[in-house]
Amino acid sequence: MSIAPAPAETKLATFRPSGRTRVISIIMILIGLFTALAFGLGSVASAHSSLTFTPVNLTAAPWHLGTLTVLTRWTNVILGLIMVALGAEMYLRQPRRGVMGRFGVVAVLFLLALLLWASRAPGPSQVGYVNVTAVLIGSSEVAMVLVFGALSGLMCERSGVVNIAIEGQYIGGAFFGSVIASTTHDFFFAAIVGAVVGGLLGLLLAFLSLRYLVDQIIVGVVIVTMISSLSSYLNLQVLTPFPQYNTGNLAPNLAIPLLSKIPIIGPVFFNQSAFFYLMLVLVGVISFALFKTRYGLHVRAVGEHPHAAATVGINVVRVRYINVVLGGAIAGIGGVAFMASQGQFQPGYTSGLGYIALAAMIFGRWRPSGAVAASVIFGLSVYLSDNLQTYSIPISTEILGMFPYIITIIVVAGLIGRVRAPGADGIPYRHE
Amino acid sequence: MTDTTPSVTPPKTRHTALVWMTSQSPIVVTVLALVLGFFVGAIIIITTTPAVLDAWRGLFHSWGAPGHAIKVTLDNVGAAYRSMFTGSVFDPSQLWHSITTGKGFDASLTPISETLTYATPLIIVSTGVGIAFQTGIFNIGANGQAVLGGIAGGVAGSMLHMPMILHLPVTLIAGIAGGMVCGVIPGVLKAFTGAHEVIVTIMLNYVVYAFLLFAVLSTAFQRPGQSNDISRTMDPSAQLPPLFGSTSGLRVSYGIFIALAVVLFAWWFLDRSSIGFDFRVTGANPSAARASGISSRTVIVLVFLVSGGLAGLAGVVQAASTTHYVDGGFLIGNAGIGFTAITIALLGRNRPMGILLSSLLFAALGVGGRTMQAATGIPLDLATVIQSIVVLFVATPVLVKEIFRLRAAKTQAVQLATQGWGS
Repeated sequence: MSIAPAPAETKLATFRPSGRTRVISIIMILIGLFTALAFGLGSVASAHSSLTFTPVNLTAAPWHLGTLTVLTRWTNVILGLIMVALGAEMYLRQPRRGVMGRFGVVAVLFLLALLLWASRAPGPSQVGYVNVTAVLIGSSEVAMVLVFGALSGLMCERSGVVNIAIEGQYIGGAFFGSVIASTTHDFFFAAIVGAVVGGLLGLLLAFLSLRYLVDQIIVGVVIVTMISSLSSYLNLQVLTPFPQYNTGNLAPNLAIPLLSKIPIIGPVFFNQSAFFYLMLVLVGVISFALFKTRYGLHVRAVGEHPHAAATVGINVVRVRYINVVLGGAIAGIGGVAFMASQGQFQPGYTSGLGYIALAAMIFGRWRPSGAVAASVIFGLSVYLSDNLQTYSIPISTEILGMFPYIITIIVVAGLIGRVRAPGADGIPYRHE
Repeated sequence: MTDTTPSVTPPKTRHTALVWMTSQSPIVVTVLALVLGFFVGAIIIITTTPAVLDAWRGLFHSWGAPGHAIKVTLDNVGAAYRSMFTGSVFDPSQLWHSITTGKGFDASLTPISETLTYATPLIIVSTGVGIAFQTGIFNIGANGQAVLGGIAGGVAGSMLHMPMILHLPVTLIAGIAGGMVCGVIPGVLKAFTGAHEVIVTIMLNYVVYAFLLFAVLSTAFQRPGQSNDISRTMDPSAQLPPLFGSTSGLRVSYGIFIALAVVLFAWWFLDRSSIGFDFRVTGANPSAARASGISSRTVIVLVFLVSGGLAGLAGVVQAASTTHYVDGGFLIGNAGIGFTAITIALLGRNRPMGILLSSLLFAALGVGGRTMQAATGIPLDLATVIQSIVVLFVATPVLVKEIFRLRAAKTQAVQLATQGWGS
């Protein structure tokens, strides 16, 4: 009775050769054909696309790379054919590993082709070039927030608790982070307060789902509803009459000497806010902690088979409490980081990033490095859906806005059967 | 009917009158959860209202200050909750005036009429969410499904022209179909790829919000002569007329009967129909359902069709009975109708009757919240905060009993347990 019904047959099913790889590879081939036809042959033969690499802040990196000009039609045809080749290879070889990696490559190539097509000259666009550095910097801000959320989800799910409240922890962190940053002008305090708020929300999730065995997803969803309405209540009640608590709080960029001067890589990786560096450190620390330390072994054991873990003397509930609270704290910092990249708090402006972060975690197969790679792809698509309109392409802003969400659905639907969640993920544990 | 009947049937909660009176009764827990919710709400009002904080700040300035601070606190909290009540149920003095003089019933019945108007789509959409919950499916996409239903109904109501006897049914069916289209996507994806419905439905909500803006700004559907996000007005033949005639000013419409019919349908469907039985068995014990030959894929897709269809109906009923048009914020404001529906379904324990009562309660909270905002300046979002807190407590009956030192039952896992991300 006490043993939670482990979905044994589901686990086996993922190891059987499935038609899923086939379906994904066909999707990849279709995307490739679409790219080659619509973005490639669909543009006039004389059209050119220009890629520039000028850093946004010239004083930080005083170099100037030339402009790379390519023929739009044939570049996109080649990009499309590469995607078709990747899909065909996957269809024929049915590889066990690297499915998501190939899909990720196709996604990035597709976005590149889209950018080339949108910025082609002569074309409808006023802006006749793509500043690769600016695109990467813009996407990295979104990706950073997503990585915080994905790491939060990963911490919780590796120990067997589904944290669907990441969105709420983002909002809580962003709200209190903005208040603290406005009053103290110190992002360090803001981050700490954001971590405390997120951690408390994690504690609420852990308390209700571990002690009272309430369904984790219900608790998570209700926490998100509660925090989003509470934040919009406080916004009207406190921040609107006292706007000094919600002033512009863009986190300053900290340029790392020398490294920040490297072309392209410098501005993207070494001239960012402190939150970006903190995110990189966290990825390293969590990877190490999960896979190389004794505690990480305990966490994974608790997430895979809590009863076996309990048998060897691991305190299952305690491990889960610690991880859920830490995970909440990380998501809370992510909320502060989001606020610091937007400048202030606005109700509802996270617009589902917390759920996209969860999808990034799934896409990254519950691994920190995978979560980073997935966040980059999602970050690119969120950034592009917000900014492609500058190229006045013939797709309305509203339709473009659907883009990241549709990609998320495709990822979750297309790949979830290929990945294996931690065995006890989302299943309540009761000690006998 | 031989021995293939599943041995594990979903537990029926049949309560005798005696049980309802004891501390084990779900009613007691619900009432106590409400008390706790309003208590936390009061604390939020106290700690965020400048007037109250100022009164407490002057605590040591004069001998009368503590009394004054307590008075200001009680005044503010009292005014907030009083306006919530008078705005959603009735204003006692006004009603008494109407009864004694026989005049002004329209004004004194407006609050209750507003509550019923607000409750109408909530009842319908929450019933759908509750049916999904009983099957072990978490339909967070009700918001998107309702919005798409509203768009579809709005298109049918404003761009088709026919006599009412045809137009109204066509409009309603278009709404249902819109909801089903949006609902069947997560259903099919879950059934055939194992994609978890929670993420898919939330993402679809955002897709539908974007589509709503696209639709109401498109040349075909946008109100002629307007440049903002507002749709054409539905024909009078596609509208659900007000119950007491258009002159009374009471907005409650014939839609309330649709809502009641949906509740009846849900009761029949869950308790009497064989598909409903399959649904409940799947929700209570998926392996037993599989063993007895119920196809889980079919059930998942059907649940999303039913749940999405009801959400779509709610959307079109909302459009046809109150606004008669769709705009860019249709059913999205205040956490969205879908999230309210989840809290209502949980509060009503997924039973049609419970959902009916909880819908009326949360509708009253929402309507009263608007009056509170107008009367006291305390933002309406407080109502949603209180709802969420109530639901957290309702989901944790043992905690409520511990807080009130009641005899607690053994901690039991909630029957609905969504199991991770796998299929």
